[in-house]
Amino acid sequence: MDALLASIGKNLFLVFGLLACGGSLAMVGSRSAVHSVLGFLFAMLNVAGCFLSLGAEFLGMAQILVYAGGIVVLFLFVVMLVELSRAKNRDQSVFAGQARAVLPVVLAGIAALAVVVKDAAFGAASPQALVLRPGIAEGLDVARNNAQAVSRGLFADYLLPFEVLSVILLVALVGAVALAKSERV
Amino acid sequence: MPSPNAVLLLSFVLFSIGAAGVLVRRNVLVMLMSAELMLNAANIVLIAFARHSGTVAGQAFALLVMGFAAAEVAVGLALVVALYRKRDTVNADDLDLLKG
Amino acid sequence: MTPEHAAAQTLIGAASTPWGLLALAALLPAFGALVNGLNGLLFRRRTGTGFTGTTFVNAVALGSVGLAFLIILAGFVKLLGMPAEARSLHADLWTWFDLGGARVNGGLATMTMKWGYKLDPLSACMGLLVSGAGFLIHLFSTGYMADEQKDGRYWRFMTYLNLFVFSMLNLVLGSNMMMMFLGWEGVGLCSYLLIGFYFEKEFAAVAGKKAFVTNRIGDFGFVLGFALLFMLFGSVDFDTMMGLVRGVSAAPSITILGHTASPTFWFNLAGCCLFLGACGKSAQIPLYVWLPDAMAGPTPVSALIHAATMVTSGLYMIARLNFIFVQAPLASDVVLVVGSLTALVAASMGTAQYDIKKVLAYSTVSQLGFMFMGMGAMSYTAGMFHVFTHAFFKAALFLGSGSVIMACHHEQDMRNMGGLRKAMPITFASMGLATLAINGIFPFSGFFSKDEILWKVFERWYHHGAYDGGAFYLMCWLFGVIGAGFTAFYMTRLIVMTFFGDYRGAGDDPHGLTVPSEAHHDDHGAGHGDGHGDDHGHVHAAADHGHDGLGQDDHGRDSHGHGDHGHGPAEVPWNMWLPVAILAGLAVVGGFLNIPHSLHVLGGEHFSRFMEPLLYQAAAPHGGAHAVPAIEYALMVFANVWALGAMALAWWMYKVDPSWSRPKAFVARFPNLFRWVNAKYYVDEFYEAALIGPCKQLSAQLWAFDTWVVDGMVNGAARATLLWAEASAWFDAHVVDGLVNLVAWVLQQASLASKTLQSGRVHNYAFVMFLGFVAFAVWKLLA
Repeated sequence: MDALLASIGKNLFLVFGLLACGGSLAMVGSRSAVHSVLGFLFAMLNVAGCFLSLGAEFLGMAQILVYAGGIVVLFLFVVMLVELSRAKNRDQSVFAGQARAVLPVVLAGIAALAVVVKDAAFGAASPQALVLRPGIAEGLDVARNNAQAVSRGLFADYLLPFEVLSVILLVALVGAVALAKSERV
Repeated sequence: MPSPNAVLLLSFVLFSIGAAGVLVRRNVLVMLMSAELMLNAANIVLIAFARHSGTVAGQAFALLVMGFAAAEVAVGLALVVALYRKRDTVNADDLDLLKG
Repeated sequence: MTPEHAAAQTLIGAASTPWGLLALAALLPAFGALVNGLNGLLFRRRTGTGFTGTTFVNAVALGSVGLAFLIILAGFVKLLGMPAEARSLHADLWTWFDLGGARVNGGLATMTMKWGYKLDPLSACMGLLVSGAGFLIHLFSTGYMADEQKDGRYWRFMTYLNLFVFSMLNLVLGSNMMMMFLGWEGVGLCSYLLIGFYFEKEFAAVAGKKAFVTNRIGDFGFVLGFALLFMLFGSVDFDTMMGLVRGVSAAPSITILGHTASPTFWFNLAGCCLFLGACGKSAQIPLYVWLPDAMAGPTPVSALIHAATMVTSGLYMIARLNFIFVQAPLASDVVLVVGSLTALVAASMGTAQYDIKKVLAYSTVSQLGFMFMGMGAMSYTAGMFHVFTHAFFKAALFLGSGSVIMACHHEQDMRNMGGLRKAMPITFASMGLATLAINGIFPFSGFFSKDEILWKVFERWYHHGAYDGGAFYLMCWLFGVIGAGFTAFYMTRLIVMTFFGDYRGAGDDPHGLTVPSEAHHDDHGAGHGDGHGDDHGHVHAAADHGHDGLGQDDHGRDSHGHGDHGHGPAEVPWNMWLPVAILAGLAVVGGFLNIPHSLHVLGGEHFSRFMEPLLYQAAAPHGGAHAVPAIEYALMVFANVWALGAMALAWWMYKVDPSWSRPKAFVARFPNLFRWVNAKYYVDEFYEAALIGPCKQLSAQLWAFDTWVVDGMVNGAARATLLWAEASAWFDAHVVDGLVNLVAWVLQQASLASKTLQSGRVHNYAFVMFLGFVAFAVWKLLA
């Protein structure tokens, strides 16, 4: 039992990853849209777990906040708005006839690529911590303060993309409001 | 630390599931979620390589991607709502305005 | 955080004592504003009755400010009991935000912006002033705004006032520049809200906007200076900056944003930017134009915001950052010149106004100029001391004028007042004492503070008997002295016109001095604020007289729209005269806090020595024991004689001859001079013509350009295209079509085959895209 626990601890990433795969399969495969959203939520939480086990604490937290806190809720709202008001469920068959033909192709592609990727070799194991360039790492324990490390990297070198992103978010916000608001106004 | 191979494989599988979701599902909502899943698969690779190469750039990019994903969802869901208002459907098969 | 920063911070941290109650003082008025605001919003309809009535509003508003005053007073007493160099209390509430890292001069700075308050001699004095004067003015408002209690917006007024006190306390008690900026913007907002309190009247709304926009110009400078300081110091905490300033100024050169220059250059630049901010908030040339218009607000607001507290925030900022200005000689000279010019010009404008509040407004601008002169002469304690004495006497004068206005049924034109001395003895006594103080008569407070400033400016030229300080300082001193003379003149004129002679408001006007009153028309219109005294000077008084005489003959005393207000003016209730009296009393005795050394009484200069630990010592002070030059005494005597002379002149012109024939003769002699001064040198008109007009014109031009050129081009292109299309149509129809039809036929056949590809189904497109992606990936991996 202890050995099992220890090996799980060592391979947390894989555990989370497999759970995420399970969640995403549930998402794609379920008939009810609400179940899909729940599968999606489960997958996102496990992806956050993957981030954490990769040493990206800040992103893990951000993932939980953004997805579990924001996006999933949005999805749920829309699902309730759209699906629950329908008396009948029109999406009868998940894998429709056309898709039945597609699926083998996709699976074959996955298999082929998996073979190729498996052969691609990578170097030594990854270093244990992030490195910041000396100019901006001053006075910071990068291994322990992930959030500050990310923010320094972001604001020192990627300030413009960050600002552009903020503008894009604003545009998306305005666009979403404009699209979704009722025509009566 | 998981080996890069494991990370790549996992993210590949997640991406494939997402791609399959976009391809086979008719519900626009599920298609949107699948697209999100693909973005997340890409994020995992970005973070893993940030760790691997020892720079913070990957994490910074993952953060940006997350922001874009949020914007995408906002607009996408607004489109879905508008679509539902206009056409009374969220089924992608009902949308064939592009038909030649 | 560089080691230097860390060292400086630990140093400061050790010297300051935590005192949590301080934060309560600043937050109490915010709480009061919250309670009153919510109460008013939620129970608006019930205001005026029961629990949510004015009693409750008054209790919350006055209680919060009064408690804040008591807390600051306790802190002040605590400070007095501490050794002089350790007089500092602070209360850090929480981390406002955390600056991960920023590239500044000298490497990477990390800074934790605290939501913190700090009480040291300077902020304690300002805090006492703000909360103390604020309390008295709240008290006055309970009487002055009594009319508003009926129409249900009384709570709004009290909410704004409390919010203002909160912002102002944030400004003066904040422990870093960000807190100060928060308060800075907060008071700007409250000023806007309160000037436009009667927003249904257009002139009030316009005045509010003018104040807001003008202040934004100043804030632009403030923000630039703020950013520059952060780049220089890597911190905006006052104590940290003060600890670092020696190191920064000792650097051989500093590079910011790719530009390398000496530290003095950067200090000068930052100082000038900050002074622009101070100009906006403290109404100096060229940004003073908003203050006279701000008199459109209720009179307690004029007293609280536009005389005693908010307008001094620029001075507080300069005194707080004295360590910057000491290192910035050029910026200090700019401050000095602008201050002295403002002192002179605004005082001269005050001599020809008829609106009692306008006179006080120009007086405020002018007195602020004096304070800036003190700052510019690097004598920060002198400037700050004038802030205090001025707050006392100007608040007293403003509140007194409020009482007068109320007693005269909201009449603001001094020509329609007069003779109130007997009717309102307490207000008269208070305002009279305050006038003596502002005129600088020994031993009232204004004498000590104003004389100190003028002496310090003079000393810059005098240089301990060397007379080599540059004629420029002498010029500034002269401006100040002339301005002081004007001040004595117009203040005496105000008192004489208001309180002496006979009451002219009830149609009793033997000398033909009144003008048609605008106070009793309900539809004030836009002309009230600006054009009050502009259009009818003394030259037109004769015509007005004829009109008045007729009105009297026909309708007796109560003609002329006075209606139910026919009774004469009477003393105001206690809650209005008491604050005025207290402030006037302070104005009388306040000067003894800072008696110059040269007078050898009571130890002298308590205020200066109290402030001293906060002042940056650029060089060793030139031996405190230097002999007092005879010229200092001579100047003191001269200042008194000069002010008394100006007062006597005003007395002679307006009192000795009750028909005012002398001023009339003067105006008749120099009509243009009077017209110019009365119209405030047409500065507003100049701004309108030179800045606002062109802006509007430019936009009109752009619009015209768009309409004529851009649209014209588009239309022209359309027409040309149309012609060309006509010509080619023929060719097209006969030659091309044949070929095209052939091609089309071929293509049609081909497309019929490929048409099936375009199914219109999303999934088909997505699948094709995916296939392409897979193909690409395979190719990349195999190649």
